Amino acid sequence: MLILVTGGAANGKSRYAESLCMRAASPRFYLAAMQPYGAEGEKRITRHRAMREGKGFETIERYTDYASLVLPARGTALLECICNLTANEMFDENGSVSDPVERVLSGVDALCAQCETLIVVTNDVGSDGVSYAPETEAYIAALGTINRALAVRADTVVELVAGIPIAVKGELPI
Amino acid sequence: MVLILGGAGAGKKEYARSLGFTDADFSTDVSDGKPVLYDLETIVRDVDVPFDALLKKKLILCREVGSGVIPLDRSEREWREAVGRLCCALAKEATAVVRVVCGIPTVLKGKLPCISD
Repeated sequence: MLILVTGGAANGKSRYAESLCMRAASPRFYLAAMQPYGAEGEKRITRHRAMREGKGFETIERYTDYASLVLPARGTALLECICNLTANEMFDENGSVSDPVERVLSGVDALCAQCETLIVVTNDVGSDGVSYAPETEAYIAALGTINRALAVRADTVVELVAGIPIAVKGELPI
Repeated sequence: MVLILGGAGAGKKEYARSLGFTDADFSTDVSDGKPVLYDLETIVRDVDVPFDALLKKKLILCREVGSGVIPLDRSEREWREAVGRLCCALAKEATAVVRVVCGIPTVLKGKLPCISD
């Protein structure tokens, strides 16, 4: 079972995704793709950690290459988030740029095969009407392609708006 | 209080008018007693908005600002975060939440409101 959770920043995606996990099979793995850059990143990570505390998640930090990740057991995994994973697969620290689409999708496919339930959090980065530098536009396009491909694979797609879940595909699990 | 969300130019004010409110009911002042508050996303840039005062409004119109590329500017990121969290909190308290897309209202919570409410 694959559930895709999308929505704008600060709309309650993480909270909702975690509540989905709590209803799904143990063990529960939290797959963190966000690289902690600076104080602001740390703050976000601290906030998410506090939300997960006591919920029985084992956290696995991994920024790229989910295709070769072996989960310790079969259960539920929450991958957060595709926006970070896509950026990590696309841009490396030396400034080189590569196509992230296949790597992100094969990573999700590999996880899906190892989980009873996989919950994936993403965001819609194409909706601000701003024009960006070509590399950023390429990122937007890649993430759009990935989101569409994930939605095809997903049993359920949920958008969060002001903390309220909306079914985009399938029925709301909760 | 009814929370009305939507992108820029999606038809939030037009929808408020369709409920029977007139332009004289609209304001960007949180505590002037007028029933419709609009541009909440802009108001929170400058003012620390008292949450209780917001709950006294009949309609609150707020633009959705959380989608799109994460801004490079830190204050812009914090602003998106603040608007998003405020809307989550308002949605919890609201009797109804309506999202306007291409001028079409969709109900996210409660029932479509009417003027007599």
